[in-house]
Amino acid sequence: MNENENNFESLRRLLVLKRHESPPPGYFNNFSSRVLQRIQAGERAESTGLLERFLQVFDVKPVFASGFAGALCLLLLFGIVYADRPDMTSQPLLQTAAITDASLAALSPPALSQPQNQMGIVSSTNPVFSLQPVPVASSFGQQNPLIRPASFSLPGN
Amino acid sequence: MIMSAPVTRTADSETPAPVDEEVLVQGARRGDLKAYDELVRRYQERIYATIYHMTANHEDANDLAQESFIKAFQALKSFKGGSSFYTWLYRIAVNKTINFLKQRKNRIHLSLNDLDFNTEHDPDLVALISEQTPRRAINLSELQEKLNEALLKLSEPHRLAVVLHDVQGMSHDEIAKVMDCNIGTVRSRLFYARQQLQALLSDYLK
Repeated sequence: MNENENNFESLRRLLVLKRHESPPPGYFNNFSSRVLQRIQAGERAESTGLLERFLQVFDVKPVFASGFAGALCLLLLFGIVYADRPDMTSQPLLQTAAITDASLAALSPPALSQPQNQMGIVSSTNPVFSLQPVPVASSFGQQNPLIRPASFSLPGN
Repeated sequence: MIMSAPVTRTADSETPAPVDEEVLVQGARRGDLKAYDELVRRYQERIYATIYHMTANHEDANDLAQESFIKAFQALKSFKGGSSFYTWLYRIAVNKTINFLKQRKNRIHLSLNDLDFNTEHDPDLVALISEQTPRRAINLSELQEKLNEALLKLSEPHRLAVVLHDVQGMSHDEIAKVMDCNIGTVRSRLFYARQQLQALLSDYLK
């Protein structure tokens, strides 16, 4: 082996050149801090990386991404189709309104079951107002049973 | 995170006394970044140099050296202490570098570091240039490039053997531990690698 070592003496000298190759001055001054920064950044990313991991699934398998996009499109179409069908929602409401009118007519006194124009109801765009009969009688003569005149008697009088 | 100070100071001076490697490793295992910082500082130059001599590219060596230290920190819990931390760290760096080189394959791009100021005064190199190639107008930069090109032509295990022994000055026993093989394999790899290098660099040698 020693003979072999001697044969390679000039090569060994040449390889010494490699020891003189050095990185830019000051390179090692910040090396350890860069390593520690990356370690800390990795720890932070691990703790807050749930969303990223979810998105990484799409990076790795584009099938997931296209499937997810397709599902979103279907959901959007479903929403548009149902939003454009007013019958689905307005029909029951109209029926409910008809039932309400009929039941009101059955329950209310004959005066209330009269047509609205005969009751002196002012036509209005307010549906609540239009359904309420105006208490005409109470305005002239009859007193509201809930309203009573106040009478004060001072002590000593 | 616990950030205890791993460096103990002697009573009579402000010079920090070197802390036992095992103490630093235990601290780093508990997540003490200051202890790991000390370990990085101890081995950064040797780890970087090994990777650089294997890749002949400063940027790659920078990335791989950082990644090796990061991986070592993450894997510290699995470090059983069967070998020294230094050998274990070296193995991580070497495996990472070899994997990288296998992926890189034919995309070889030299990015060599400059030679330092002492190069021209190194007795070995002075003798080599003046005696071996007296009529050849060769400069050190050209020689550096040819040497790196020749090294890159070796297989990774052969290159590693030469780098660790002839450039870094490690013993056969240490190399065997790092390369996870027996000493005989290290010797034969070294011999074969030198033979190849001598053939490739015959113009620049006797």
